Amino acid sequence: MIAKELQEEVYNCIKCGICMNACPVYKQLHVEGAAPRGKVQLIKKIQEGKFDISEGFKNLLYTCLLCETCTVNCPSGVKIDRLFKAMRAEVLKKYKLPLLKRIMSTVLSSDQLLPFCMFWGRTLGNPLMALLPKNGKIGAISFSKLPKFNGKPLMDQYPEIISPSGKAQGRVIYFPGCANNFLFENVGNSTIKVLQRLGVEVVFPKDLKCCSLPIFLSGARQMALSNIKSNLSVFSRYDNVDAIIVDCATCGAAFKEEYVHILGEMGEDTKEAQKVKNKVMDISQYLAKFDLKKYLQPLKGRVTYHDPCHLVRSQKIKDEPRALLKQIPGLDFAEMVGADVCCGGGGTFQLDHPDISVSITKNKIQSIRNTGADTVASGCPGCRLQINGNLGNEKIRVVHPIELLAEAMGKV
Amino acid sequence: MIRPEVIQKFVSIVGKDRCKTSPEDLLTHSYDASILEFVPDAILFPVSTEEVSRIMALASAENVFVTPRGSASGLGGECLAKKGGILLSFTQMNKILEINTENRYAIVEPGIVIADFQKAVEAVNLFYPPDPGSATVASIGGAVMMNAGGMRGIKYGVTRDYLLGMEIVLPSGEVMKTGTITAKDVTGYDLTRLICGSEGTLAIATKITVRLLPKPKARRTLLAIYDDIDDAGKTVAKIVEAGIIPATMELMDKTVIKAVEEAFHLGLPLDAAALLLIDVDGDDATIERQSPLIAEFCQGQGARNVRTSSSEEENVQLWAARRAAFGCIARLRPTCLIEDATVPVNQMVKAIKKVKEICERNNVQIAVLAHAGDGNLHPLMLCDQRDKEEMARVEKAMDEFVEYAMTIGGTLSGEHGIGVNKAKYLPQQLSATSLKIQRGIKNVFDPQGILNPGSFLEVSPK
Repeated sequence: MIAKELQEEVYNCIKCGICMNACPVYKQLHVEGAAPRGKVQLIKKIQEGKFDISEGFKNLLYTCLLCETCTVNCPSGVKIDRLFKAMRAEVLKKYKLPLLKRIMSTVLSSDQLLPFCMFWGRTLGNPLMALLPKNGKIGAISFSKLPKFNGKPLMDQYPEIISPSGKAQGRVIYFPGCANNFLFENVGNSTIKVLQRLGVEVVFPKDLKCCSLPIFLSGARQMALSNIKSNLSVFSRYDNVDAIIVDCATCGAAFKEEYVHILGEMGEDTKEAQKVKNKVMDISQYLAKFDLKKYLQPLKGRVTYHDPCHLVRSQKIKDEPRALLKQIPGLDFAEMVGADVCCGGGGTFQLDHPDISVSITKNKIQSIRNTGADTVASGCPGCRLQINGNLGNEKIRVVHPIELLAEAMGKV
Repeated sequence: MIRPEVIQKFVSIVGKDRCKTSPEDLLTHSYDASILEFVPDAILFPVSTEEVSRIMALASAENVFVTPRGSASGLGGECLAKKGGILLSFTQMNKILEINTENRYAIVEPGIVIADFQKAVEAVNLFYPPDPGSATVASIGGAVMMNAGGMRGIKYGVTRDYLLGMEIVLPSGEVMKTGTITAKDVTGYDLTRLICGSEGTLAIATKITVRLLPKPKARRTLLAIYDDIDDAGKTVAKIVEAGIIPATMELMDKTVIKAVEEAFHLGLPLDAAALLLIDVDGDDATIERQSPLIAEFCQGQGARNVRTSSSEEENVQLWAARRAAFGCIARLRPTCLIEDATVPVNQMVKAIKKVKEICERNNVQIAVLAHAGDGNLHPLMLCDQRDKEEMARVEKAMDEFVEYAMTIGGTLSGEHGIGVNKAKYLPQQLSATSLKIQRGIKNVFDPQGILNPGSFLEVSPK
């Protein structure tokens, strides 16, 4: 069963129901089983031996974005998301992961398979993608909106030590994340470029693995363990660094929140994870200490910002990315209504539940439209896929805030 | 148990997707916000009056119990299937059918969440005042059936005061209209207001027409901090006596302050004995006149400090914190039983003292929250439902407090309802004649006794 201290959490749920109308999924389905309160009560019954983990329970547990909105809204302070994450691992002791997730987890957690798949992905995938039917979809995202593979993994585009322009003012490790490494190279390039320009030496280790968040949040903790340990040991190799820089909300959440919890709940040593937790910074956080104004050229247009769940709730980062955007001269910043509401992607949630996912995303898109912005900035590749994938034919660009900042810095 | 072939007939009305019988569904529909649990045999999710009517006609014909349910945020098991049978959930019948700005009324389906409805009418500069603490959870249907009160009671009254009419389905399946859309209506018995507060025992509402007010131009929140809870209580009595009517007057004692502060980090003083949260609303002139006057009353009665909110954002934060107070309390102990006895305002200070004394004597941990302007006390009894011995002490304390409230002219329940738990006290407040008439009324609406069985009239001592 799940860790003792988590078991006690279910008794702190007073069933007030405040989580229900906060839950994006419940608001679509209006069935108690989909509500956080419902799942917490079922977990209580399971713990008390009054109910067994069932197929139905499994389905409910995975009908959840893990957006953590319930947790931050729970007046009783119940760690709802932690409970659900731990229960997913329990459920997998009885049921297998669905095939698609099993393949994905195997690929992401493997040393050889990931580069292999990504090689064939860009060699065959990019040309093949053009042949896919225009109106087809994978999960909630149309084929035509899928990103192309990077020509070369980001990791292979840089040396291990990237020197800054001018005198070194600092030294950081950069963790690119799979999304940037294989799909959104411009995000990684922008981060590195901005850091270089600010005089920061970037250490880019070549043996970093997938952060594994998609694997362990689907419940497959054992599968994720070797990646977790490997990343921690790579980070510990470099001790004279100011920070470990992450420009993916999800990877940041993994290092800052999940690793310590997961290892602890698995009875593993958490010392290294704790050290890393304190070193990791989202790029927007790290840049807060710099005076950027003198580097920035004006940009045009209006930008709005979408809060990724893994930044605003997992990491409590809300102001820093906005501050970056607001500093860019000429760029009009417009706050959207409900910026911190989940976009409906939820990582692999959109694959499992495309209908629910799309109906949540529709509200987000409307909110974006209402601002009149031509650009949406968001520091999460999952949100980016989801929002871009559901924008239709509008000319609204979806970017990472760091990409705009790099643009404003002009050519190095 | 309902026979499978009967379940099939219900399925033929709502379809397979809206008839749930899986163990997961049954368990997740077995509770509300109290500690009671009753597992239904099936849950139906109707989306139209016609479906509800057909469901009830079938239930009558087959003699199946039916219990209506909104968001299940109630505190007394009113919406639980106390004797099994069908649970009729209105969470998917939740549309706003009309907002009429010319005649200032709205027609809604029962499942809509109160806060969502309030937001929608406020967007067109109208105002639906009834504001239960659970407004972000509770449905209007549930609020109507429970005649929910809440924080704006002192100035604006309760749910019943805003009801113009309903479309209801009787246990027999017959559809009937009550009331009108006009501001005045004295045609026949006032069935609308009879059904409101009936705890879902007389009929099922499928459409609800409510009266709306123009939205107040502005509001301001005052926060008065006290070193002695008596002074806070006296302030309330003084303000009421002086004929000043704020929109809300909420009292929290030090335990509630601590729990709320832990959850919201608003900078509330942890060393305070009590605080009053007072809202004034209206046009700017009213606010400018009333708020210093109220601040003066607070200081005159010994408030250590009176803070006036500086922005609507701060108002919203303070009220979100108040709304969540019930949940925040769970940070202290796992279970929280909430009392709801209501006393005349000038007796409130005495009643708070008494409830504290009773709890101390019975070794029960207590926190006090109150819609103070209404004398509506919410003593929160903190406990752990797994500890049987402790729960027995809590029950004893509740018995004593209810008895006390009766002796000073109070009522059993101000707004939460009687439900299962308080039914045993009914004869203390209602005479045998009153109970006889109430049972007679129930019999007229529901001669078979299939609607919400196990409710207060049935379980109350004869």
